[in-house]
Amino acid sequence: MSAGRVEDVHPIVVEHKSHFNKPRHVKYWLRCLKTYLPQQYQSTDSNRTMLAFFTLAALDLLDSLKPNTTPEEREQYIDWVYLCQHPDGGFRGFPGSDLGEHRNEENKVWDPANVAGTYFAFCMLAILEDDFGRVNKKACLTWLRRVQRPDGSFGETVGEEGKVEGGMDPRFGYMAMGIRWFLRGRATGDVMGVPDVDADKLVECVRISQTYDGGISEAPFHEAHGGFTYCALAALSFAGHLPKPGENSSAGLSDVNHTIAWLVSRQTATLEEEDLLDTYGDETDTIATCHDAHSFVAMKGFRDTKNGKDSFDDRPTSNYHLQWVGFNGRCNKIADTCYSWWVGASLSLLDKVSLASPDPNRHYLLDKTQHIVGGFGKVAGNPPDLYHSFLGLAALSVMGLEKELKPIDATVCISTDACTHLAKLPWRVENLG
Amino acid sequence: MLEKMAKYSNAEEWADIVPIPQDDGPGQPLAAIAYSDDYVEAMSYLRAVMANNEMSERALHLTEDIIRMNPAHYTVWLYRSRILFATSSSLPAEITWLNTIALKYQKNYQIWHHRHTIVDALNSCTGEQDFLSQMFELDMKNYHVWSYRQWLVKRFDLWEGKGELEAVESILERDVRNNSAWNHRWYLVFGRGESCFEDKERVRREVDYAKEAIHLAPQNQSPWNYIRGLIRQTKGPAALSLASFKQFASEFASLDDPDNVTSSHALDLLAEILAEREGDAADAAKALDLLAKKYDPIRENYWKYRKSLLVGQGGVKAAA
Ligand SMILES: [Zn+2]
Repeated sequence: MSAGRVEDVHPIVVEHKSHFNKPRHVKYWLRCLKTYLPQQYQSTDSNRTMLAFFTLAALDLLDSLKPNTTPEEREQYIDWVYLCQHPDGGFRGFPGSDLGEHRNEENKVWDPANVAGTYFAFCMLAILEDDFGRVNKKACLTWLRRVQRPDGSFGETVGEEGKVEGGMDPRFGYMAMGIRWFLRGRATGDVMGVPDVDADKLVECVRISQTYDGGISEAPFHEAHGGFTYCALAALSFAGHLPKPGENSSAGLSDVNHTIAWLVSRQTATLEEEDLLDTYGDETDTIATCHDAHSFVAMKGFRDTKNGKDSFDDRPTSNYHLQWVGFNGRCNKIADTCYSWWVGASLSLLDKVSLASPDPNRHYLLDKTQHIVGGFGKVAGNPPDLYHSFLGLAALSVMGLEKELKPIDATVCISTDACTHLAKLPWRVENLG
Repeated sequence: MLEKMAKYSNAEEWADIVPIPQDDGPGQPLAAIAYSDDYVEAMSYLRAVMANNEMSERALHLTEDIIRMNPAHYTVWLYRSRILFATSSSLPAEITWLNTIALKYQKNYQIWHHRHTIVDALNSCTGEQDFLSQMFELDMKNYHVWSYRQWLVKRFDLWEGKGELEAVESILERDVRNNSAWNHRWYLVFGRGESCFEDKERVRREVDYAKEAIHLAPQNQSPWNYIRGLIRQTKGPAALSLASFKQFASEFASLDDPDNVTSSHALDLLAEILAEREGDAADAAKALDLLAKKYDPIRENYWKYRKSLLVGQGGVKAAA
């Protein structure tokens, strides 16, 4: 028996064509590759390897890296990546900390290798089809063990007296497990004479960071967050600890269905900051405060308060359309381009992209945040930035929403082509079997 | 090349320092940034003083200069705190300075880590709660600030009677949808140990608080998640059963009155309650259909999936 009279008031499938402007995206990213980034990026100078990664990875997803660069240029990019390699293993986040010939035992703590810098360097080398021949693999694996804390979490750098610096959050855990996977695959025990990190302890960190509402946060009791949830799940994926099909739990994840429920709850039709401001100081449910429940809250939960009236006035009384659906990163926040990746890729890791509404998300990305000059902004109407421009492309790719993009690997966050290149490298085949 | 700005290279005070320029390699660098001249110069001097391990007032000022241009620089903060401790600088003065920086660069992690280091060394949280309120005036959901606040609670034992619960309640009075505040409440109430989940009085108070918030705004997901978290995690004498919320969920979503549902989250909870008993599976399916078609069509595919998991609904597991 099925439900009684249910009116199907919201056909999600609307005949609607959104246009992916590939030439504009290519142009945007070639400008990033071949000319100086504007001065506003100075505040992210310490993450230059990340900006470089976005640029190469985006052009690769667009299948436009090789056609627009010469082999000599690509060789120079590879050289620049190696320039960031640290003498004691790993890579710097940017050349700006390099003390060069002045570096010594006393001052080297100010010029450390960086977990994110190292992960992005490996991703770039794979995209550029380098053979990793100049990577000091053994030193890197040795250093990686030193960035892990006794509780299992990873930091960003090793500081004074071996102290692990940087947050405890799963971003570093994810990238550390990624570095391990690049060099060791899923091998256990010693590789190149270096013992493994304590992967089980990291998996335990992920497990205890699950929140009461089903998401994952940076640490126990912190608020569930889309970015941390992705990093945690992808770390489990690197470690081979995601639940197997048909299982609801694993060493790293206590209740997959709960996490899936949290992930699909991130879909929202609340797309603009203005929409959200209406909730401030207003406790009532109105269509202004509850776009996701547009069909019924309008006249019902509404209480006759001043704030309620203010947010109710001038609002359309008809239903909000579900043509545009984005993802937010936390409960009761507005949609943001990057969470289409963080949440979409999380669902992909759990093989559940089909439980979301991918097509309305495509409309959201292409109609609302894709920018006329190419790239994507954070929210509707924002100018593009490298971070959202790359993650917009990555989201479209991971959810299979754009034929003009190469498929992306949901765990590694680079094209499956680049992963295939890595898998074929002789040293990797030899070492990892 | 630095004649024009020359904040450092023309200064008498810095005459003894030979700046170290950035080495971007001989070829085409990636992610090259159009740096300001000020930044290029200051960074060259920073590398030089770092190379000398210089612990001085002028080096402290230089770190401030860099932080204002690149607050995400991960070692300049570590260098700065080493100088502060090495020169026995005033830590309260550092907090005052940090306040202006935190208000200016809201999305920066390093600032909060540094604050953590300084406040820990000060061994006092005087003024901290007030400053956090100031931060919340700018953004009530700033993740760094809430994370720092959790550390503060633990470090200075602010669990009870120190204004924390009151602060959360006043934030929720202004915006009952602030999920960060709900999460902080959960931390305050249950963050001290597993035994909190067995405290009947505590759990009853939390259920009542969440129910009251739901009555204000039934479509607000935060208190519904809070209640479902309580159902999952309470135990012993305080254990709550899913079924005991049937009456409450029905206040907002009744299958006898499917046109007057006032909360999709109530309908979701009802579906879960009904799914527990095989005999109620048909009703659970009804609730899930209502969600898919009428009350939460954004997640249509998800509700269909949930329906496929129902026992005795024909398509158990096969349809998924
Ligand atoms: Zn974003």
